[in-house]
Amino acid sequence: MKAVRLFPPQLNPIIVKEVRIRMRGVRPYAILTLFLVAMAVAGYGIYLLMLRQASFGGMVLSFQVGQSLFSGLALCAVLLMVFLAPAMTSGAISGEREQLTYEMLLATPLRPARILWGKLVAALSYIFLLIFASIPVFSVVLMFGGVAPKDMVKTLLLLLVTAITYGTIGMFCSALVRRTSQATVLSYVFILLLIGTTTMASVLWSYFNAPTGQAIPPQLLYLNPFSALISIVTITPDAGSGMFLGGDVLNLPLINQLSIGVVHYGPNGPLVLPIYRATLLFYALLTVTLYWVSSHMVLPRHRRRPRWGDLRFVLLLAGMIGLIWLVRDWWFVLPPQNP
Amino acid sequence: MTNAIETVNLTRRYGKTLALDNLNLQVARGSIYGFIGPNGAGKTTTLRLLAGLLEPTGGEIRLMGERLRADGGAGQHLVGYMPDFFGVYDDLRVWEYLDFFARCYGLGGKRRQSTVDQLLDLVDLTAKREAFVQSLSRGMQQRLCLAHALVHDPPILLLDEPASGLDPRARVELRELLRTLRDMEKTIFLSSHILSELAEICTEIGIIDSGRMVVSGTVDAVRRQLQGGNTLRIRVLRAAEQAEALVRDLQPAANLPEVVQVRRDEADVHLLYVELRQANEEQQAALLAHLLVQGIPISDYHMQAEDLEHLFLRLTEVT
Repeated sequence: MKAVRLFPPQLNPIIVKEVRIRMRGVRPYAILTLFLVAMAVAGYGIYLLMLRQASFGGMVLSFQVGQSLFSGLALCAVLLMVFLAPAMTSGAISGEREQLTYEMLLATPLRPARILWGKLVAALSYIFLLIFASIPVFSVVLMFGGVAPKDMVKTLLLLLVTAITYGTIGMFCSALVRRTSQATVLSYVFILLLIGTTTMASVLWSYFNAPTGQAIPPQLLYLNPFSALISIVTITPDAGSGMFLGGDVLNLPLINQLSIGVVHYGPNGPLVLPIYRATLLFYALLTVTLYWVSSHMVLPRHRRRPRWGDLRFVLLLAGMIGLIWLVRDWWFVLPPQNP
Repeated sequence: MTNAIETVNLTRRYGKTLALDNLNLQVARGSIYGFIGPNGAGKTTTLRLLAGLLEPTGGEIRLMGERLRADGGAGQHLVGYMPDFFGVYDDLRVWEYLDFFARCYGLGGKRRQSTVDQLLDLVDLTAKREAFVQSLSRGMQQRLCLAHALVHDPPILLLDEPASGLDPRARVELRELLRTLRDMEKTIFLSSHILSELAEICTEIGIIDSGRMVVSGTVDAVRRQLQGGNTLRIRVLRAAEQAEALVRDLQPAANLPEVVQVRRDEADVHLLYVELRQANEEQQAALLAHLLVQGIPISDYHMQAEDLEHLFLRLTEVT
């Protein structure tokens, strides 16, 4: 019997094949171009908006332009990721089934878990390419200033985690159902539930709760990537300065809506809850769980039967939950109670 | 020498449906085994079981003397499997397609490259090396798919309906390719629902119906084994009715054959089929003489070897 070569470790064949197919033709470059154009147009639009405000007599400082640009671009990037990532992965397994190549793959020594991993890495590497290609667009922000590099790194981290999570959602749906069209619809429904319900809940909360204006429990927003983004890109002035110059929160209408529940206005000025911390942790948890279930769904038979590989997932999840519990003071932040 | 493929009481159920019922299969090394049966007889199930894609409900499979484990394992290196409906990846070049499957089997670097080149040469696709897979004709895709099953140089090849959907030229090319593979000492196990596709190329055949093996052995042995009826084909110039009556009323004598049945061909009124109890050349000669003496003008008189097509129909009707 010829064993699979262990050393030097072989590149996952699926990755090689996927990258060959994915990077062929006009499509990958068209998507990249569209992505960058969308980002650039969004940036220019925000810049024009700021100019308009200035022309109406508002005081617009350079750092405010920088902050607005940054938050607007970041929002745009997250929005594109939320829609692109599942589209990239929702054909991963169902596509092989539709092309009738899945049987042929299963007849090789390639294990389903490796097929899944290769598919995810290949799809995400293209998404990461999009994210990294958009960094120069983000760097326009640096011309205006007002954004700390730390916030940029946090935003990048959130973007990457969002891409991985939503990519995994797409792949999970792809493994779950037989047809790619169904998988795509299912993954968007999944995402709509994830984002739509959290946004709706936070909006409705303020209507149905007496006394009005009572703080929304931030737990409602943990799984919403936009809320998480707001919590990163909303820049509050130093507590000591005592002067709130009206950052991006006031300037961009959409962001203003999404900031409900994230930004709280107290007597000492606005307070931004660091929701993104919980988002990152719970997205990691969701990703591992979905990946685990997917690794069962791709099996040709006995999908529900427990396997030894499950032990690794159980240990990983237990470790993650333990870690989340340990750092609960870091992420579990409640808004100040209104007097 | 152990058989290349051997199954012992192989059984497979899909829910309540019994797809395969105690199948005992022996395929000698180096043979081309044709697995024939009507649609839904259990051919694909058998092939998928042998390829390790399905788990048997009962019984066991031995490949090259090794017992096939439930998780596939070593079996995947012993067999190359070409499914009934094979898939191709769009936007992948011909060499990349083979390169991908070679990678799946863990072939590295130079060895992978040389394997791809050799296989392209074997299936006569070297000229199409840089073409996209989806641009190939059906026959070429079929050959490419066959090549994919050979990347790890398996001793056993499992081909599910390899000739389906091919034009006559592609079929001839496939047949040539199978002969070449046999010369490379591969054991080839192929299925078809069209018998004539296999009759010329196979060394052994097995006929399966409703999950049960009806008959199995070398082509000649199967033919002999099943030739219960020995049929004479007699063509007369005229007086067909008279001839029919003569043969039907034939009194079995010492030198005359015992007639089981006489029937006229539906399309050709001058054609008679006479089924004899047993073949005996002396008796056949006597019968011919008898008919000639009675003044029947005979233009053609010969023993008809029942073709596999009829045999197949007869067998699958009975069971």
